[in-house]
Amino acid sequence: MNFALILLIGLALLILLLLVWVLRDPRKRARPDSGLDSSEDLGQRHVDYFPQVRQALAAEDLVFLSSRGTSQLVRRTRKERRKIALDYLSCLRDDFLRLWRLARVIASMSPKVGAGEELARLRLGLTFSLHYELIRIKFLLGFAPLPELGSLSDAVSRLSIRLETAMNNLGERAALAARLASSLDDGHGLDTP
Amino acid sequence: MGLFPLPVLWLWAFSALAQLFVLALLFLKGNFRKLPYFTFYVALNICQAGFLVFVYTHAWSNPSSRDTLAWTSECITLVIQALATTEILEITLRPYQGIWGLGWRALTVTSGTVVLLVVLAARGHWAFARWFELDRGYHLTFATALIACLLLVRYYSIPVPPAYKMLLSGFCFYSCSEIIVNTLLQAYFKKDFFLHQAAWQLLTMSCFIVTLVVWAVALWKPLPVEDRKPASPSDADYQRRSPEINEDLRRLNEKLLQLWKLEAREQ
Repeated sequence: MNFALILLIGLALLILLLLVWVLRDPRKRARPDSGLDSSEDLGQRHVDYFPQVRQALAAEDLVFLSSRGTSQLVRRTRKERRKIALDYLSCLRDDFLRLWRLARVIASMSPKVGAGEELARLRLGLTFSLHYELIRIKFLLGFAPLPELGSLSDAVSRLSIRLETAMNNLGERAALAARLASSLDDGHGLDTP
Repeated sequence: MGLFPLPVLWLWAFSALAQLFVLALLFLKGNFRKLPYFTFYVALNICQAGFLVFVYTHAWSNPSSRDTLAWTSECITLVIQALATTEILEITLRPYQGIWGLGWRALTVTSGTVVLLVVLAARGHWAFARWFELDRGYHLTFATALIACLLLVRYYSIPVPPAYKMLLSGFCFYSCSEIIVNTLLQAYFKKDFFLHQAAWQLLTMSCFIVTLVVWAVALWKPLPVEDRKPASPSDADYQRRSPEINEDLRRLNEKLLQLWKLEAREQ
């Protein structure tokens, strides 16, 4: 069997695997807190708690501890802070993914979708995931400058606000469309004041 | 029908019965109104089976005429298969006009690329092989385009009724099995035409029967009434928001990258 035939069989098997993956119900896999249905999605974000996290991770505390406390205490504090940083980074990623998904919902509701925009967003999402994993590994190894998380949080926060506005607009339009449709279905025409 | 061994003929008869059952379900449950092309495809398959019985029982002076007729009927069926699949995809994505438009473009690009690759890779070692290669090329294009569309549906979290999902997955499974069977048989039975032909019929028909069973399950109940409506009558939101969102995402990635570079410098 030559290489081309092996490639063909491999491609067919890959398509079958993708088919199985596509057929799986995403709702069964999704975490309960990652859906768009719950009301907390648009109202509460992990990025909102960044000032508190930054305060908890301030470098001055470690300097103070190393001058007054024991080295064991400093190590333990650093370890706990690293854990906090990792948890927070993970939460930021959840925020990003939720917003990214909201962006896809906006696209799916639009009657006209630009291929360029969608491809760009897909690429950005993949790049974000790659960068996130790299930074997470660095955190795990203990190299990360914790205060730099601020810029990351700001960006997520800004994105979140824009998407909230967009979703509100879409919600209003959906309600208007439904009202128009029901008026037409009833045969009464448009409601007039 | 002396051309094929008895198991193949039994399988053929069973396949015809299964197709009749699926057709009966389409009419009894009223699904033929929602899926006219799919109904036509199943009916055409039954007609093709009858036509093939005639072709293979008739004594031909030139065997290649028999093969040409048989494969021509297959070509017609495959065209209708593509139309039936497009019909199901169109029903699935009808409320999502933007995604349907994107899907069409994705289908064109994917299919075009695969067709080009198939044409470039097609090298028949024996005269009869060209039909199998064409058949495999078609199924490869079909399966790739279909899975591209299904991935698009998944990416945008578009809800698809399970019955339509099963119909589409039946098509995809059958095409993939055709690719695998054609390729394996080409590799192992290239010298023995009779054995190749019998094995090909046996394997592809078995896979088709599995597909028919999946379709029968999907069509057991009437297909759901389409009540999804487009949420937004205008694309102004998308046109305005999408570049903004992408810009934010880009900035976010740059921040992450800066973080990465900063770490590299500090080390």
